[in-house]
Amino acid sequence: MAIVETLLEVRNITKTFDRVVRALDDVSIRVEKNEIVSVVGENGAGKSTLMKILVGVYQPDSGEMYHMGRKVPFPKNPLEALKRGISIVYQEKGVIPHLRVYQFLFLGLEEKFTRLGRLQLGKIISLAKSVFEELGIKCDLSSSMYELPLSMQKMIEIARAILNIKLMVGGEESNVTPIIILDEPTAPLSIEERDELFQYLLNLKKSNSFIFVSHIIPEVMMFSDRVYVLRDGKLVAHHDLRIEKISEEQLFREIVGRASYHELWVKYEAAKIREIDKKPIILSVRNLTKKGYYRDVSFDLHEGECVGLFGPAGCGKSEVARSLYGDISADSGKIIVNGKEIKLRSEPHTRVKVGIGYFSGETGKELLLFWPIRKNLSIVNFDKVTIKSLKVVSVISFRAEKSLAEKIIKKLRIKAPSIETECYSLSGGNKQKVSVGKWLEKSPRIMILEDPTIGIDVGAREDIYEALLEMKKNGISMILVSDDPKEYAILCDKIISMKDGVIQAVYTNEEFRKVIEL
Amino acid sequence: MAQTWFSREWLHRNLNTIIPVTGFILMVIALRITNPYFLASWDSVITLVYGMSWFLIAACGLTLVILMGSFDFSVPSVLKLSAMIFAVLYPSIGFSAILVSVLTGLTFGAVNGTLLARFNIPSFMATLATSMIAEGAAQVISGGYTRMITDPAFRAISTTMILGLPSIFYYAMLIWLISIFITFTTPFGRAVYAIGGNIVGTRLAGINVKKVRIMVFMICSMFASLAGILYASQIQGAHMQVGVLDMIPLFASVVVGGTALTGGIGGVHRTLLGVLIIRWLDSGLSMIAVDLNIRMIVFGAIAIVMTILTIDRRRIKIMK
Repeated sequence: MAIVETLLEVRNITKTFDRVVRALDDVSIRVEKNEIVSVVGENGAGKSTLMKILVGVYQPDSGEMYHMGRKVPFPKNPLEALKRGISIVYQEKGVIPHLRVYQFLFLGLEEKFTRLGRLQLGKIISLAKSVFEELGIKCDLSSSMYELPLSMQKMIEIARAILNIKLMVGGEESNVTPIIILDEPTAPLSIEERDELFQYLLNLKKSNSFIFVSHIIPEVMMFSDRVYVLRDGKLVAHHDLRIEKISEEQLFREIVGRASYHELWVKYEAAKIREIDKKPIILSVRNLTKKGYYRDVSFDLHEGECVGLFGPAGCGKSEVARSLYGDISADSGKIIVNGKEIKLRSEPHTRVKVGIGYFSGETGKELLLFWPIRKNLSIVNFDKVTIKSLKVVSVISFRAEKSLAEKIIKKLRIKAPSIETECYSLSGGNKQKVSVGKWLEKSPRIMILEDPTIGIDVGAREDIYEALLEMKKNGISMILVSDDPKEYAILCDKIISMKDGVIQAVYTNEEFRKVIEL
Repeated sequence: MAQTWFSREWLHRNLNTIIPVTGFILMVIALRITNPYFLASWDSVITLVYGMSWFLIAACGLTLVILMGSFDFSVPSVLKLSAMIFAVLYPSIGFSAILVSVLTGLTFGAVNGTLLARFNIPSFMATLATSMIAEGAAQVISGGYTRMITDPAFRAISTTMILGLPSIFYYAMLIWLISIFITFTTPFGRAVYAIGGNIVGTRLAGINVKKVRIMVFMICSMFASLAGILYASQIQGAHMQVGVLDMIPLFASVVVGGTALTGGIGGVHRTLLGVLIIRWLDSGLSMIAVDLNIRMIVFGAIAIVMTILTIDRRRIKIMK
């Protein structure tokens, strides 16, 4: 075994956003030569913030950085990080589909291979060949990126990162070991492709180090040398897998934590409706299929019931939810709302008419950020805030709008100076509250929730759960899609587990909690 | 939030209003100094009113489209085609020609809107293509000749004097006020702003985005048609030069008013000031014998500068 040598170390990093949200709190990690270090945590745990600090996208509020034993300032931009041998391969924005492999490989480096204003194509291609040989990639240099399998595209992206570092560092420091950060690299890949990618990484480990950001536990356990666990911006655990033996369950519990879980679950119990199966069926889904995403999905939703679609990213759960709301269309099957079959191909507005509402935690997608809270709240409630003027035209009554907004703000404890405050100036949690609040008064028959509490702090989360549980108590049925298993335990009466687009099992809330050992 | 007047932040927030207002005042002063006849008599006021009324009607429609974040290149061509249809058909079918004209406009709007909303063709491409169709149609039905109508009833539509001002002025103000009413107080108007602000969110909030988009394009083309009809009546006929070179001044008057090309910001109420600035500047400059080509350079430059100043930088990272 090689001598352990610390390549990069950061100590006591703290980072806050907008002076309120503490994204990272006193976090220290190190990367050694020739190893794969994993950083795991839930969404919003601070993984990406930490990585963005390492590559110079963000500046930390405090902390120190050591590179090859020497204290160095934090990189101010990705180029500086690159010069120190640190590069990142992002989850999905990297590949430019229509470029050829060698064009993509040398994208942004063309200047180094230009003579008299002309690109030295021969030199580029021969260098690309030798790089691929060295890294063990077998592919046709002149094929277009989009023609290649996703795992190969990822490999080429990694090769590009290494090549970038080699060409950027240069000079006397050319013996620097590149550190490549991989941000959820396996998210879009199939199982076989994942294995292929990992074999490739294990091979590259001989000359490089990797920071592997993921929330897929089995692959973290299998392929990394050490694991750091982040939760709510804090480093909660560190394991050296070469020495220690830990179980997947243990790691899972460390990632999820169980601090405020019990209290919330009590709230679920309080809001629970007994004998939910005897309530009328509001929504029936039969053999719903969308090619390439999910197939033969069938379930019933009773009045006041919350059904969770559970499974790993890419299992088709969010596509099912979005097909029900009409954001995308299913190919075949039946959706029956209140005993009436509705068209598979349609737009969200027709679904709103039959009483379906949709709420996603991605406020940037949902809200009109430069609109005041008042307008954001009334956009789905036009029927409540308009009056017929001259019996012909529906006119918005500003008084009705104002009282609606004030009511919702009070109910959800939205912290804002006034109803005229523009939404972009609100904190993440309050934005989400505005986003869910607009449905509070609409009271649809069915609410579809996609990651309702993504990326917000615990307090705001509880307020949102409370609002949702109250809606449920009032007889509104819900369908939940989330990455957080706790959320299912808090909100759902029935949990449908999915894998590769197919329903695997159906659990009750109690059974589900046993399965995930909460 | 309370802000002190004329503080930096106040200036920044109200840039969209401050520029057109000061611009207008400065322009009037400058034109008054350079040209002794500018606004010197009631007749000169009436001349200016004739110059801006038909233009305001078309600009109101274009503002709605721009508020949605789209663009409509076909406004001047639809205006010309409508004027032409009216002038060509008037001798045979009389005022029913107005109906034919407006229906033609609505059809063009529906086509523009459908190309955008249903076939996902960028609106500037779609409307550029339909504007060619409108140009061609105008050429075909007129044979390229100027159509003069000497019937006084034809002319009376827009030139009847009411309280010292021609009737076309009242039509324009009526359309302007109706547009303001629609955008400010109806759910439809809210939806127009919402689409310009965040189309994904608007769709997810259950608004029929396709319908709103098609309707806005129909309204825009209908206004262009009405502008064409009234303009034809004002100039006693129609010819192939109607609307030529009007696209840039139209666009300039919308952005000078403070409506952002990125959509969602501004409003029809602002367009009146924009039209006043652009049209009065045009009349003022032509009165002191500034060449048409030079005027086009001025309007082009104004359009560019105002687009830069009003564009919503917080939202746009890359413009294609």
